[in-house]
Amino acid sequence: MSSMNPAGPRNGYYRSLNELENSPEFQELFEREFPGQDTQSISPFTRRRFLQLMGASVALAGAQSCRWEKEEILPFTNRPDGRMPGVPSHYATAFELGGVAQALLVTNYDGRPIKIEGNKEHPASGGATTVYAQGSVLGLYDPERSRGPSKRGAEGKPVDVTFQAIEGALGEALGPLRTAQGRGLAILAEASSSPTLAGLKAKLLESMPETRWVEYESAGRDQVIAGSRIAFGQPVRTQYDLDDAKVIFSLDDDLMRDHPDALRHARAWARHRDPQSGEMNRLYCVESSFSSTGSVADHRLPLRSDQGLAFLLALEVRLQALAGGNASTPRPTALAGKKALAFFDVLAKDLHANKGQSIVCVGARQGAQAHAVAHRINALLGNVGKTLSYTQEPLSEGLGDLKDLCVEMGAGKVQMLLILGGNPVYDAPVDIGFAKALSKVPTSVHLSEFRDETSHLTSWHVNRAHYLESWGDARSWDGTICMVQPQIEPIFGGKTSLDLMALILGIKDSSGLDLVQAEAENYFGDVEDVDRSWRKALHDGFVAGSAYPKITPALATFDAKGAGASADALAVNGKLELVFVTDSRLYDGRFGNNGWLQETPDFITKLTWDNAALMDIETAEHLGVENDTLVELSIGGRKLEVAAYVLPGQAKGSVALFLGFGRREAGRVGGSVVQGIPAPGFDAGTLRSSVSPWVASGLKVTARHEGFTLATTQDHWAIDKVGFEARQGRIGELVRGGTLEEFEHKNDFATEEDPELFTLWERPDVSVNHAWGMGIDLGKCIGCNACVIGCTAENNIPIVGKEEVINNRELHWIRIDRYFAGDGKDPRVVHQPLGCQQCENAPCEQVCPVAATTHTEEGLNDMVYNRCVGTRYCANNCPYKVRRFNYFNFNKDLEDPANAVRKMGKNPEVTIRHRGVMEKCTYCVQRIQQGKIAAKREGNRPIRDGEILAACQQACPTEAITFGDLKDSKSKVAQAHKNPRAYALLGELNVSPRTLYLAQIRNPHADLANLDHVNKAENHNDKH
Amino acid sequence: MTSIDPTCVDQPGVRPPLIDGDDTYSALTERVCGIAEQPVLETPKAWFVAISISMSVLAMLGVVIGYLVVTGVGVWGNMNPVFWGWPIVNFVFWVGIGHAGTLISAVLFLFRQKWRTSINRFAEAMTIFAVMCAGLFPAIHVGRIWLAYWLFPIPNQMEMWPNFRSPLLWDVFAVSTYATVSLLFWYLGMVPDLATLRDRSTTKVRKLAYGIFALGWTGSNKQWHRFERGYLLLAALATPLVLSVHSVVSFDFAVAQLPGWHTTVFPPYFVAGAIFSGFAMVVTLAVPARAFFGLKNIITMRHLEVMNKVILATGSIVGYAYIIEFFIAWYGGNAFESFAFQNRAFGPYAWAYWTMFSCNVIFPQIFWFKKARTSIPIMMVIVILVNVGMWFERFVITVTSLSRDFLPSSWGYFHPTLIDVLTFVGSFGLFVTMFLLFCRFLPMVAMAEVKAVLPVPHRNSSGDSSSEDDPQEPTASDAPEVTL
Repeated sequence: MSSMNPAGPRNGYYRSLNELENSPEFQELFEREFPGQDTQSISPFTRRRFLQLMGASVALAGAQSCRWEKEEILPFTNRPDGRMPGVPSHYATAFELGGVAQALLVTNYDGRPIKIEGNKEHPASGGATTVYAQGSVLGLYDPERSRGPSKRGAEGKPVDVTFQAIEGALGEALGPLRTAQGRGLAILAEASSSPTLAGLKAKLLESMPETRWVEYESAGRDQVIAGSRIAFGQPVRTQYDLDDAKVIFSLDDDLMRDHPDALRHARAWARHRDPQSGEMNRLYCVESSFSSTGSVADHRLPLRSDQGLAFLLALEVRLQALAGGNASTPRPTALAGKKALAFFDVLAKDLHANKGQSIVCVGARQGAQAHAVAHRINALLGNVGKTLSYTQEPLSEGLGDLKDLCVEMGAGKVQMLLILGGNPVYDAPVDIGFAKALSKVPTSVHLSEFRDETSHLTSWHVNRAHYLESWGDARSWDGTICMVQPQIEPIFGGKTSLDLMALILGIKDSSGLDLVQAEAENYFGDVEDVDRSWRKALHDGFVAGSAYPKITPALATFDAKGAGASADALAVNGKLELVFVTDSRLYDGRFGNNGWLQETPDFITKLTWDNAALMDIETAEHLGVENDTLVELSIGGRKLEVAAYVLPGQAKGSVALFLGFGRREAGRVGGSVVQGIPAPGFDAGTLRSSVSPWVASGLKVTARHEGFTLATTQDHWAIDKVGFEARQGRIGELVRGGTLEEFEHKNDFATEEDPELFTLWERPDVSVNHAWGMGIDLGKCIGCNACVIGCTAENNIPIVGKEEVINNRELHWIRIDRYFAGDGKDPRVVHQPLGCQQCENAPCEQVCPVAATTHTEEGLNDMVYNRCVGTRYCANNCPYKVRRFNYFNFNKDLEDPANAVRKMGKNPEVTIRHRGVMEKCTYCVQRIQQGKIAAKREGNRPIRDGEILAACQQACPTEAITFGDLKDSKSKVAQAHKNPRAYALLGELNVSPRTLYLAQIRNPHADLANLDHVNKAENHNDKH
Repeated sequence: MTSIDPTCVDQPGVRPPLIDGDDTYSALTERVCGIAEQPVLETPKAWFVAISISMSVLAMLGVVIGYLVVTGVGVWGNMNPVFWGWPIVNFVFWVGIGHAGTLISAVLFLFRQKWRTSINRFAEAMTIFAVMCAGLFPAIHVGRIWLAYWLFPIPNQMEMWPNFRSPLLWDVFAVSTYATVSLLFWYLGMVPDLATLRDRSTTKVRKLAYGIFALGWTGSNKQWHRFERGYLLLAALATPLVLSVHSVVSFDFAVAQLPGWHTTVFPPYFVAGAIFSGFAMVVTLAVPARAFFGLKNIITMRHLEVMNKVILATGSIVGYAYIIEFFIAWYGGNAFESFAFQNRAFGPYAWAYWTMFSCNVIFPQIFWFKKARTSIPIMMVIVILVNVGMWFERFVITVTSLSRDFLPSSWGYFHPTLIDVLTFVGSFGLFVTMFLLFCRFLPMVAMAEVKAVLPVPHRNSSGDSSSEDDPQEPTASDAPEVTL
């Protein structure tokens, strides 16, 4: 080992002349061969060390092709306290996205984090998670994460270097900058609410006041903040309390999925969607493209986003008039048709009638003025302090700052640029020319998990530790400080933003832990025992009572003007609008190399591995565009060829495009130019300018009539006539629902037409000790996909890739069926999560020739992988088509030594399935067994309701899924099954499913509901 | 065709001869055995060409199967929801073809239809080979091919029996029983003819090979008596199998609850379809074989015409079944069921449905005309269309029903892959190779039986000058005049 000393040859032996001379070339070569080796610290052999290494090298002989930086095998001769091999441990941490923390609880097996859950104690999570948080654990085990720092070499190729080399280079470059008070130093950080980072930033600005600090998020909320500046003269954050709102009006705001506080919103909204437990709320949505929130709205109006401000202003005028008893003010000019006009009237009426109990919220894509007007409307309605409150806003409007920074960079004023996370080369608006400006900066450092687009252009790259490997802190939306603690030693090494800041500040020998701990003392406040508070904060995952105090900012007077267009003018080619939408899976593209997220079907289009230009049926017809063909979008002189997807319910004249696709350097999953791997999807960023980063008008669409196959997991809206009619005819039967009025009239309306079922034989008892069952409330499901990813993570479900999704071979055990009802212009949407229904009289079991799928006494339909030979008969006979078949060995890539790290992320409680076997939802049987064992060990006590959670149930933000023992009549699931709304999907087949659905109850306003009836009758008459 | 073949002219009161020409016993023996006895070098070149093509195709099948085993069944187009695709279609197709042989041998034997004697041997051979092809598909179709033997009730250390409730298991039994009985029946019937070949053998190898399989047949009265009894019993055993095997195959579909599969009409409809396709395949093979090997006198136009009549009859039964399915789908009032049929005829697979319907129901109607029944070109076109149509029938049943079942969210459209096509084509390689080997080395016509139906004037005719010059030793297999 000590022969590795680069200081020179030992014992007179040398390997090359370079070594003999110990020349700089040799030094560099050595560093490249053993990056990150702190060669000085390697002490001479001891006997124990020798035996350890010998043992390790024998044990690792098979793993020699893996390039681990450091191999250590330490037997647990003394077991650490509280650690039991094979027994999972759970630690709290937090995941920061867009500067907002999501509180998490991470399941670790033998030191490996394998599953993310929400932190139940934290009010914003309540135990639920977003898809991003669920998927982030896969990112930890991404073999393509950067494994060490690198330097931009010849022709832009990265050359591995040590961190010490970067330290040296930065130290050198920083010297003159320090003396210049920081002039020429710029830091471009992704948005962060970390108090520790803020502390370090303050220190930096104190010592080098000329330093430029920019926080940029490509999916940032700049216009929201700007709007609050207009309204209140200061940045203010709005906190919604949906619990107290009877009427919610959202303009382009995906409150329940895209909003940073979406989990809390979704949970609160869902609490008031059950007619049996209190008054229902009513949700109105006006939006250009379907949001999760819009898809579950009681009333939804598709409207171009650029008409939003005019709509709000008209609404404000109407509300003011209503206060004076007048109800006839002009309606927004863009509204056409009886229904749209009535929508406006009723919305205003309903908001007026629910003063102090309503919310008007506006999405981040709307302009600053719209946000300002919304604040005014909320004040007018007296909602402030009741359904919503204000706190300080720690985030800033980064786009403007980034623009200024770019100008400075281009002018050569920036000597050194430190990019702390983020990927501005990919996601900064094209018109500000970030990449070009970057080339003018002599020293640039990019801290990033991947060697991505930005890393390829900066002079240095530092590999960033994953948040599951890091110390840190961050604030959730309400300001509560969440602790970020590492679950595992950094697998590939790596630094955090805090480490780099410490480096710049010259803080020596200070780990992330030290920094956070030092900062924590500030926010614990005046406590006696800091250590105790620290341990409590780590245990809980957050610091209770650290939320921002509420403020009551004074509303300023301001003018807002929004020009409304006429309805006819909205669908003219060349004057269409292009709306950029943060992707429901890849966010702004940062999860581009995450296979789970890539393969998750979008909540509304059911697209995987791609984005597409979404347009409504009428516009598509008008433009001559068909599904699965390419179109050219051109706006402001920029052009992009992209696949088209015709989506009912999209606003007329509005084209939506998801961000985050078409990555140039994401990796093997997300595409890489260097590796020659085409990227999934199309880079919407190439059309995005800093002037109109969200909604851009003046779009021209040219049909290319060239085919492009999109991988969807469900048919398009448009299919052949026979299929279309049958599908639309069945929807009412499959996803049952009705209005509150119908429910109150007859609460078991959902099942009244179900036939009586008979059986010829006595069925075996499948409820011996327990009877596991599930209930899914269709009225609460918002289609957010948290359950899908949660299930994927829990059950080791492999991804199959775009080709195989096109071949309908995806393996998701739970899928969310999305159905459109009503007409294609303004459809209603129902989301129906569907896993194995665990039929008591399971048709799959009867036909399996080798008895590989059988029933347990507790009613589970078990799948015995070892016994399965793969005749696939069971899947044919499954009426729900929830069985999934391994057509290939979809885990084959795990055999590749380069992917060894991915094995670490697998759940050891769940078998990895081989090719040729069938698999399906098990109701998380491993969790059931764990629950049973725990109860048995504690004196054979009964299992408590809610003790065993299915992975899908646990992830669900709206608590739409209940699971438990039907034999326990008090259990939530037993109550759900007794609910008059409960019905069995395809119950007439007499398969007796253990999963029951609760019919969706909508709460339409009487005036609009009647209009619907009239329309229905009209349609009905048309048909005859 | 200017005039109708003389064997097909019906004269009131006169039974047309079953065998044409003036072959005597010995000439007949010569004609049939001659094919098998040709020295290797004198084998017609066409045979070599044919077998080299078919063996290449067979080799390709081997490669494709190898690829499949190594890679996984995903090399086919199977997907969710169409979990069964071409392999099962091919399986049912081949099982269906395998029906004519035993029907001709056993059922027509029991019904004393003597015209069967000319064609039964190679119809049976065709059955065996078709069942071989059929058996191949379920075996390679499973996801873990190396464990396919778990479908058999073999005692094992796991103490696991297969699931006797599964129609697939019934299928395993039905097809393997059918294959066994068909093979025995074919072989038993061939013993006297093998003895003839043995007796005529000029080389030691032939004598030994045929000798072993002839089982020491001497042609004694006692042996003939036992042979007849045994044959009769096996025929009686095989007859119900003709009905059972395809009924059981149809249970694979009918017992499932899938709309479009779950139909009580399936067993009779499948059996009729199987006979239909089987006869079509016999005609497809018989027409070239009789021309090529000079067997036109033995397999006469009358035989072909009779088979065409069977095709017409069974084709009409199948057509009836197609129509009644629609009626029941409407009359039954089950929305899923009625959609399954609407979707078949007017949905995305309408092209397949109407291909099937026209090939199986419309085109064979031309056989109402005697001219068409007795015209070689017309019948060849029709029987090939029937073969195509019957393959499509299985495709329509299997794939269209699966592609759109209960939940519209899971609907999908099936696309076959190149491997699908190659596997199917490869199975023809297996079939044709086996058939060519059979034609070349085994008695293609049941000589012993045909001799029993030779027109009386030709039986052991002494007026034949050639036989006077070259007196033929009576061979062991010369049949005694018994009524079968």
